Amino acid sequence: MQRKEILREPVQHIRIKGKLTVNQLVQQFQNSGSFGAGRVAAACDIYERMVREDDCTVFLALAGAMVPAGLRQLVADLLRENLIDVLVTTGANMVHDAIEALGGHHYKGHWAVDDYMLYKNHTYRIYDVFVPEEDFIKLDMELVKIYDQMANENKGKTLSSTDFAWEMGKRLKDSNSILRAAYETKAPIFIPAVRDSEFGYIYNLHATRRQFKNTLVVDAFKDVPEIISICRGSSKNGMIVIGGGVPRNTIQSAALATKSGIDYAVVITMDRAETGGLSGSTLEETVSWGKLKGQADKTMVIGDAMIVFPIMVASVKERLGRDFRRARSVKYENLNPKE
Amino acid sequence: MKKKPSKHMFCGNCTSHNAYDFPDQVFCTRRFLKNQNAIVSTLWCCEDWYPSAQECHCIEETLKKQK
Repeated sequence: MQRKEILREPVQHIRIKGKLTVNQLVQQFQNSGSFGAGRVAAACDIYERMVREDDCTVFLALAGAMVPAGLRQLVADLLRENLIDVLVTTGANMVHDAIEALGGHHYKGHWAVDDYMLYKNHTYRIYDVFVPEEDFIKLDMELVKIYDQMANENKGKTLSSTDFAWEMGKRLKDSNSILRAAYETKAPIFIPAVRDSEFGYIYNLHATRRQFKNTLVVDAFKDVPEIISICRGSSKNGMIVIGGGVPRNTIQSAALATKSGIDYAVVITMDRAETGGLSGSTLEETVSWGKLKGQADKTMVIGDAMIVFPIMVASVKERLGRDFRRARSVKYENLNPKE
Repeated sequence: MKKKPSKHMFCGNCTSHNAYDFPDQVFCTRRFLKNQNAIVSTLWCCEDWYPSAQECHCIEETLKKQK
């Protein structure tokens, strides 16, 4: 490579003159092309390419307390608009979705607070978000009833976590709910670590009250062939990762199982690669496993997903325009919620 | 025979309670698992009152509210 090729494109300085739309600001980031600004701009380009390809399945991996912090409506809308095809999430995010669907709330708090004082006031803290204990208790009571109904209707039949999520969505009437939106739009939701959340504790209440007879049966292994079939049925696969952890690897492993690898990847994280944990692992590391194609369109944004992801979505929606319509790109005939 | 509640023997002061309608009503896990009504008054005392208290403000806030 020659020196003139190395020094091809000068940094253009960010100009803010008068009003700017979100996408215009992202264009300014692109002109700079540097540090986080350059990566956010690249992430928007990659997401736009994913949704413009009809045969690309767009997976969203959701880890971290994104629903308590305020991303619930955004994710539900993306499902309804088919700008996400498949959601892979922690159980906790769906627990907090159900809390709000049942009338509970998350409250603006502060990170510098006496946590023992919060304990004595039956208030839980998620960094600077507070959740009243009552909202969890009301969730427990309502979901035990729902688990009972699901167990009675399914009579010992094993459900995958997607079946479980749709069964929940069927019974939650709040149209702003992610679970409800997934049920209504037939968007698969995988919750691979479903028991590692309040959903697991609620199972214990449900099963104990029934002396562990005729209980609800959810089998996360059942998800594996389902998500592999979705990957296999798509000519291209793209993933947007918020955080990482189990949801990120669930998507990546499915792509590996199909021997095709992921074509587009955006990871938004603040974790570091040096610990060896998946949430901080670089996308180059993912290539080494065959989970991401070597020539994949990819970027990793080091930043707070509460800032980065809404900017990405706003920018891409602006580019697509109001009249843009996209069909859900999931080809797996056996996946359909029960009416 | 039901125990006579002592100064600290209230549902809102045992380890089986969670907040249900703070501070007036608490949720009792023990009663819930026995399919009994699990929502009880914070100042109620059941036969199963557990002799180990949770440090919280349920009782004092209820009493303050009653005054």
